[in-house]
Amino acid sequence: MLAFEQQVLADLVEDPNGGLVVLSSGLPLASLAATLLLHLHQTPGNAAGGGCLLVLSATDTLKARIRRRLQDKLQVHDVPPDLAAQQRATLYASGAALFLSPRALAADLLTSRLLPSRVQALLLLSAHRSTDTSSDAFICRLLRQRNLLPVYAFSDCPHAMVAGFSKAERTMKSLYVRRLHLWPRFHVLAAADLERAPPDVVDVRVPMTPPMRGIQAAVLATMDACLKELRRTNKVDVEDLTVDKGLFKSFDEIVRRQLDPIWHTLGKKTKQLVADLRTLRKLLDYLVRYDAVTYLKYLDTLRVSEGVRSVWILADSSHRIFELAKRRVYQAVRTDGVNVSIDNKGTPTKKRKVAHNSTKKGKVTENEDSTVGPNTQKANTDVGIVLEEVLEEAPKWKVLWELLQEIAEQRMKSSAGNVHDEDKNDESGIVLVSCKDERTCLQLQECILKGPCQVMREEWEKYLIGKAELHGLNKDKRKSEQPKGVGVLDGEVQMGSSESVCPVSISKLETNALLAAASELRNISNEADVKSSSNSSCSKAGGAKGKPKKTTSKRQGSNRKNKSKEGNDNSQGTGLDSEGQSGKADVQAEIVASKMSAYDASMSASTSNVKFNHSSAFGNLANAKPLPPVQFHALDSDHQVLDVWKPSVIIVYHPDITFVREIEVYKAENSSRKLKVYFLFYEDSTEVQKYESSIRRENEAFESLIRQKSLMMIPVDQDGRCIGPTVANEPEPPLCQNSITRKAGGKKAPEKEMQVIVDMREFMSSLPNVLHQKGIRIVPVTLEVGDYVLSPLICVERKSIADLFQSFASGRLYNQVETMARYYKIPVLLIEFSQDKSFSFQSANEIGDDVSPTNIISKLSLLVLHFPRLRIIWSRSLHATAEIFMSLKTNQDEPDEKKATRVGVPSEDGIVEDDVRSENYNTSAIEFLRRLPGVTDSNYRAIMDGCNSLAELALLPVERLAELMGGQKAARTLKEFLDAKCPTML
Amino acid sequence: QASPSAPTPQSKNSILVSHRQRGNPLLKHIRNARWTFADVVPDYVLGQSSCALYLSIRYHLLHPDYLYYRIRELQKNFRLRVILCHVDVEDVIKPLHEITRTALLHDCTLLCGWSLEECGRYLETIKVYENKPADSIREHMDNDYLSRLTHGLTSIRHVNKTDVVTLGSSFGSLSQIMNGSMDELARCPGIGERKVRRLYDTFHEPFKRVP
Repeated sequence: MLAFEQQVLADLVEDPNGGLVVLSSGLPLASLAATLLLHLHQTPGNAAGGGCLLVLSATDTLKARIRRRLQDKLQVHDVPPDLAAQQRATLYASGAALFLSPRALAADLLTSRLLPSRVQALLLLSAHRSTDTSSDAFICRLLRQRNLLPVYAFSDCPHAMVAGFSKAERTMKSLYVRRLHLWPRFHVLAAADLERAPPDVVDVRVPMTPPMRGIQAAVLATMDACLKELRRTNKVDVEDLTVDKGLFKSFDEIVRRQLDPIWHTLGKKTKQLVADLRTLRKLLDYLVRYDAVTYLKYLDTLRVSEGVRSVWILADSSHRIFELAKRRVYQAVRTDGVNVSIDNKGTPTKKRKVAHNSTKKGKVTENEDSTVGPNTQKANTDVGIVLEEVLEEAPKWKVLWELLQEIAEQRMKSSAGNVHDEDKNDESGIVLVSCKDERTCLQLQECILKGPCQVMREEWEKYLIGKAELHGLNKDKRKSEQPKGVGVLDGEVQMGSSESVCPVSISKLETNALLAAASELRNISNEADVKSSSNSSCSKAGGAKGKPKKTTSKRQGSNRKNKSKEGNDNSQGTGLDSEGQSGKADVQAEIVASKMSAYDASMSASTSNVKFNHSSAFGNLANAKPLPPVQFHALDSDHQVLDVWKPSVIIVYHPDITFVREIEVYKAENSSRKLKVYFLFYEDSTEVQKYESSIRRENEAFESLIRQKSLMMIPVDQDGRCIGPTVANEPEPPLCQNSITRKAGGKKAPEKEMQVIVDMREFMSSLPNVLHQKGIRIVPVTLEVGDYVLSPLICVERKSIADLFQSFASGRLYNQVETMARYYKIPVLLIEFSQDKSFSFQSANEIGDDVSPTNIISKLSLLVLHFPRLRIIWSRSLHATAEIFMSLKTNQDEPDEKKATRVGVPSEDGIVEDDVRSENYNTSAIEFLRRLPGVTDSNYRAIMDGCNSLAELALLPVERLAELMGGQKAARTLKEFLDAKCPTML
Repeated sequence: QASPSAPTPQSKNSILVSHRQRGNPLLKHIRNARWTFADVVPDYVLGQSSCALYLSIRYHLLHPDYLYYRIRELQKNFRLRVILCHVDVEDVIKPLHEITRTALLHDCTLLCGWSLEECGRYLETIKVYENKPADSIREHMDNDYLSRLTHGLTSIRHVNKTDVVTLGSSFGSLSQIMNGSMDELARCPGIGERKVRRLYDTFHEPFKRVP
């Protein structure tokens, strides 16, 4: 616990209402929350005497971190939304600290399964998501209307707190807190704490290769072109649209916020431009993250998936992107027609050269020469083009390697000098490499194990296999597809069409052969020649990187059994165990070296010696090179690693502001420990730009928050309560809100208020919240038919616009309306527009000249024609919906909860179960299942009964499927679909 | 083509327009169906059992009772009674609320159009689709493999078309995707941590969570 953290908490608990804390990202939110929980737990100052501590919407990572901080001092239970209702009730009764999802909590509060008086305090950990209609706010209102408990809200996303007009102030109102505490990184106390003993930082600038630079320039140029185009539409504020801003995720938000209200008036092209910008941003990001082959592969995929629609793909500079990306991997070398025969040999020679690298391949290559021969000959008769591999390695790989070696050397030197000194420090000696994603981790790991050449080669081979297979498939099945794809690729480019097509097809023939060889080779080496192949790859890597020879020879024996895939899996398994012990479920960020590090700690020899011992003793597990133990960490996986691994060197492979802050905090907490940090930046890249502007952006956000805070007006009523946006309904608990029932006339008993039955799943949306604001009683149950039941006659299916289009496309809506019409006299479709988006489907110019069956108008008309009883509500906003609901309920009986739940429940289930029914299912799996061919409404339940999961389903034999699905034909359809080869890339 | 000529016996195949609607600029936009003036009670007779009333919100604001009287005139002669509401004002919430309520209480289906073209298109479509089966809005899909695969996989949140292609090409078949390990999924370019987890959970979590 740092000094400034204590100050944060002291400030926060001062106000009995609680408060909102905004932190710089990366500052220790988890430790603050943990300490706060502990503090609250130990001081049951509340009149109610204890009660639950509720922690809302914490991510899994955050939960783990908080638990870690708390250790055994306080148990925090997890309440998953699918936990049975009774168990939830027991947990509430126990008065413990709980992690909850807002959806389940709202329902429990409404059904009085949890009484507000039993709650001591509420903690919100992502306050930037709260708005007055969000479920957080709903819960705050449910809790606070009867009980003045404190609400402690946190946010580590300052720039989200300034998005929109006085966002902070509105958030505070909706959460009923009055105090805003700002803790930027540059706060005096925070800065003092973090800069007392800063880590040793080395900035490494890695130059990009010329093609990389070329691609980056081309992408930027394309982005610029797109932006110019977008500006020309005169629909957006020009100032915000700069390439610099375009690098960020928030760029989409900026554009969308400006365009949303007029989205329907935009042409197809403008919309496509916005989407293209997103794609381009991704391309920039992947350029520095992925290796050359994967990047090319991704480009290929993109071309297939959006080739026809995109604007940018047709632009001039995007051709450059594709060209350069290809050139990083291979080159099509053109030769004279005379040299064709020589070329033919040229190709295999090239291959043989490669094969020589991995020693034993010679023979195989010879064999395959005969098979390659005719193939290439055929292709090369008209044009002489040879494929030459380039396989550019990512420059950072080399730098990373050198860094690791340098670290190892330094260690060796220093340990030779003072052995005991090293010993006293409980340093793990671990080098932590932090990357953006899991993929990079795995790849870097392989790079270190096998050497970069080998990694590139494997990627290349995989790429070729994919190409070759698809090529084969294309030839068989989709003849029309191929020329089209090529057209998209090269069509715009003013090359001779024959020229541009030929290299592609030739490269495919080439790859066919190369590929067949590669797979053959792999088979052989896997089965018969495990030893030699592993050997060869090792010695190759060794040759390239100057690895000491003696370790290699030592390794050979042990290599034999473990070099194969299974060996790798094994080591992962053990790694996992040790992870489990340290309370982390970090399955992916696992690496072989973790085992070594464990041994490291226990051994009492000097660090470097230990390393050498290891490399001989555990060489089968990891590399035998004189490298320090290396851990990889993916920022995406978002696990806390610093406290677990206690690294002494951190290499930040992909710079990220949050992680940098975490390092700072870690260092400040362990100021005695030595820590060296290397930053790897690509020089002059967007990576640097992005990093720097993310810092700038955060600072600006805080400055704006500080300004807002000085002007903020938070009203307070006499009780010291903070008045929220819905003052009128606030003070009285809903039970005495008889006044509202005046609209219901004399028909019903005066003590009964208006009530609406709401499907549990609807608590994801804000409508229940708004209805509650209007004083309607919400009865949460699980409905099989409809989303809201307003009266015994009226049942409403709510569709947001996106939902509407989607469920028209999937046919779901038809089914839903059909069942609603079957069970209710007045089935209603509620089309809910979003308040801040345009109130319309499409612009006038989007309506074509003809009646087209795909248009939303046609679909709606058809629906209306088939269900003349269906009523449609067009609602401008949530509040409008609530108003309409209320007026519809006038003169109607109140709905019956019991009846509503029973409606539409398939009779084969027999009994009507508890309201948790839907929560007990893996809904996304069921949705997926129902979309598989052969699966119908009538047989999907049987399939679910017959097998456990989708993974299991995929392995079932046809006979069993036929049994489950009640028919040979359906079963065969399904099986064929499951096992069909994907004809994907061109 | 439109032929606003004399009322002829071909009226069965055309939209019958009430004389009240004479001069409504909406008529210009009915191009895909024949229409003809006739002595009918509703504004538009769109078929044997369907009719429509046209209402612009601006008019409604001036004459709030108009709609009610028109609906009352209709009596029970039509199964489908559409109120075609032309949204031509900015501040729609209050008037639309009233119209919605009136429509709902008097068994009318409300359709909203934001331009005359859109309103016209509704009329045309309902006429043209008079006897069309509902196939195009029922569950169906394109029959080629990729769109079926896309249809299935995109039901999982955050999975987009590009991801489907990526998954397909790296695993080879759907059953292999479904049995892929987290590592294998993570190796696909463009598939981040979140998607990996979602995909993996969808395939490996049991259909029924509670034993």
